[in-house]
Amino acid sequence: MAQDTPKPEGKKRRTRRPGVAPPPETPPPPLHVFRWDLDKTYLKSDFDTFRDLWRSAFEKAEAKQAIPGAAALVRECRKLERARVTFISGSPEQMRKVLTRKLELDGVEFDEFILKANLKNLLRGRFRALREQVGYKLPALLADRVRCAAQTHEVCFGDDAEADAFVYSLYADLLAGNVGLGVLEEILGLARVYEDDAARTLKLAGEIERSPAVDRIFIHLDRRSPSARFHKYGRRLVPVFNYLQAGLVLIDDDLLPAGAGVTIAREMMEKFEYTELALRNSVEDLLRRGRIGRHTIELFAVACETDELLAPLAPRLRTIDAISAAPPNDEPIDYVAAFAQDARRERKKPPPKEDGWRESEE
Amino acid sequence: MPSSIVTIAVDAMGGDHAPEEVVKGVAAVSLEASNVQILLVGDSRQLTHLLAAHRHDAERIAVHHAPDRVGMDEKPREAIDAKPNCSVLVAARLVAEGQADALVSAGNTGASVLACARTWQRIPGVRRTALASVYPTELRRGEKDDPFSLILDVGATNEVDAEDLVGFALMGSAYAARISRNPRPRVALLSNGTEALKGPESIVEAHRLLKTHTTLNFIGNIEGVDIPKGAADVVVCSGFVGNVVLKMLEGVSETVVRLARYAYKEKLMWRMGLMMLSGGIKQLKEVTDWEQYGGAPLLGFNQLFIKAHGRSRARAITNAIKVAAKAAQAGLAREIEEGLKTFAERRAAA
Repeated sequence: MAQDTPKPEGKKRRTRRPGVAPPPETPPPPLHVFRWDLDKTYLKSDFDTFRDLWRSAFEKAEAKQAIPGAAALVRECRKLERARVTFISGSPEQMRKVLTRKLELDGVEFDEFILKANLKNLLRGRFRALREQVGYKLPALLADRVRCAAQTHEVCFGDDAEADAFVYSLYADLLAGNVGLGVLEEILGLARVYEDDAARTLKLAGEIERSPAVDRIFIHLDRRSPSARFHKYGRRLVPVFNYLQAGLVLIDDDLLPAGAGVTIAREMMEKFEYTELALRNSVEDLLRRGRIGRHTIELFAVACETDELLAPLAPRLRTIDAISAAPPNDEPIDYVAAFAQDARRERKKPPPKEDGWRESEE
Repeated sequence: MPSSIVTIAVDAMGGDHAPEEVVKGVAAVSLEASNVQILLVGDSRQLTHLLAAHRHDAERIAVHHAPDRVGMDEKPREAIDAKPNCSVLVAARLVAEGQADALVSAGNTGASVLACARTWQRIPGVRRTALASVYPTELRRGEKDDPFSLILDVGATNEVDAEDLVGFALMGSAYAARISRNPRPRVALLSNGTEALKGPESIVEAHRLLKTHTTLNFIGNIEGVDIPKGAADVVVCSGFVGNVVLKMLEGVSETVVRLARYAYKEKLMWRMGLMMLSGGIKQLKEVTDWEQYGGAPLLGFNQLFIKAHGRSRARAITNAIKVAAKAAQAGLAREIEEGLKTFAERRAAA
């Protein structure tokens, strides 16, 4: 397990032998960074009622459940050369121990685990900060980016319950130089971010080295939100119903090997009782939405043939004959309008029913 | 995920409000019913675009491309002949190939029945197929306290003989027993009098055959007035008569609602009276709401087809899919086959 918080430089023990070149002061920057949100992205979390929130806060690590395939996907990502995995969660810092334990139980290693200082916010009377996402996540992402080189590529994972699609896209476009500081200031104002947080965010955004670093943003459709809602964020952002879909997109991007898809699918079948049909439909859905090519399905099918459990899936994959639609256009994102639109939707949102079903939202 | 999963092929392009409302209904059922997989058949690009606009579970939906569709006003035979890749025919073919367990369509009834006839086999012993419909009555029946009686045929076979009517009775009874969980449904022939010798020759002969050669709970003949009273759980008639009866019953329901609306606008006293009755009216409306019935099963084939109303919107489609899933799990075809076999044996022995 990697460290969850970086140790201060001064406290490190240094052992040097004469004649041996000193070790480098800092490790080389990562080649790939995988940024994960926690609740509803990695972990199954139910915060819809106060009772759920209370239960979640006191739940043991052993009782917490990961989203099907999430742990396998993180492990596959971390296998890549100089890969860095970070978690940024809105959960309070007091939950660090139990959450770290949960990741340990799942065999998931990480490099950074950022939690929200909710108690501090509460004591300081900063009640807006308890729920607010932009003023918390954006500076956290920017601050962690300092460790990376311009060539470091990133993949972000979030969900449809909060503002992940907005925050990750804004972060990606700030890095790419597509969004100016003026627009950022306007957004921070609209989000009613506290002045000191806003100033820090603007400072970090001003200092960061510009590069088109974020290759993909995955939004786990935990609420099964209509995927069309995310079209405005362009083709970089892919709404996914499960993590086999995310894995396949990364295989299509030549980032992960086809075997990674097998590992993810295997976990989904073994631990979460996924059927071959559900996996097949997930693959078909991606093809129909124009998010992967047929060659990726064939690569995955070939990889499945080598696995006893997944071998029967291979012929099913080869029956997929869906027609691909064009993925969303990559037009410049109007972040001010997008923020207002998302905020309006949040206000209108009715409480979810017991079975999680609501009328179509669009 | 549950083990007994059924796959329902849905003709996405059939119906007055297709494909928008069909997709909406499918999207809803994908979130509600964990034991149902949907095979949506129609224009793939259009369906993908529509699905993206609704909350749904992509793990439970597959789309099969079919480039053509049959319009509601097209002549069935000509349309099916001219469009071998129309959505309803492709969907029926997929069921025949075992890729789905049942078919749901809100499209052109004639074309749908023809599509089934061209791709499916009739159950051994079935001479004619029958379209059955449910109608709310005063009585509650079965384990589920079901207020519905089943009427068949309501349009698949216009001209029938006595043996066809016996077949309908056996199929209707099997359906009511399985789907309404009513172990001994009361079966009746629809006639112009309750006496055994009243009505056309086919009815008189069917009465005799049902009485002497079947083990059904046959209660004799009933008149039209007995249908809403719930005198029988299964009402048997020709497709022509059944269709007229069903449309008339629907018309009466709609007229009552229209009259109530008229009264509401006309006089303050009437309005107040209606307001006092609003709870009861709401309940009545719920019971007579065809959208909750889930569609009419086409009985007699080795596969199951649920015909949803042409005017179906999302809720009706959702309910039709749920009924199809339930019927597909019930092993209806086997029960019908056994019933017909017993009838043939008893008749031969006599």
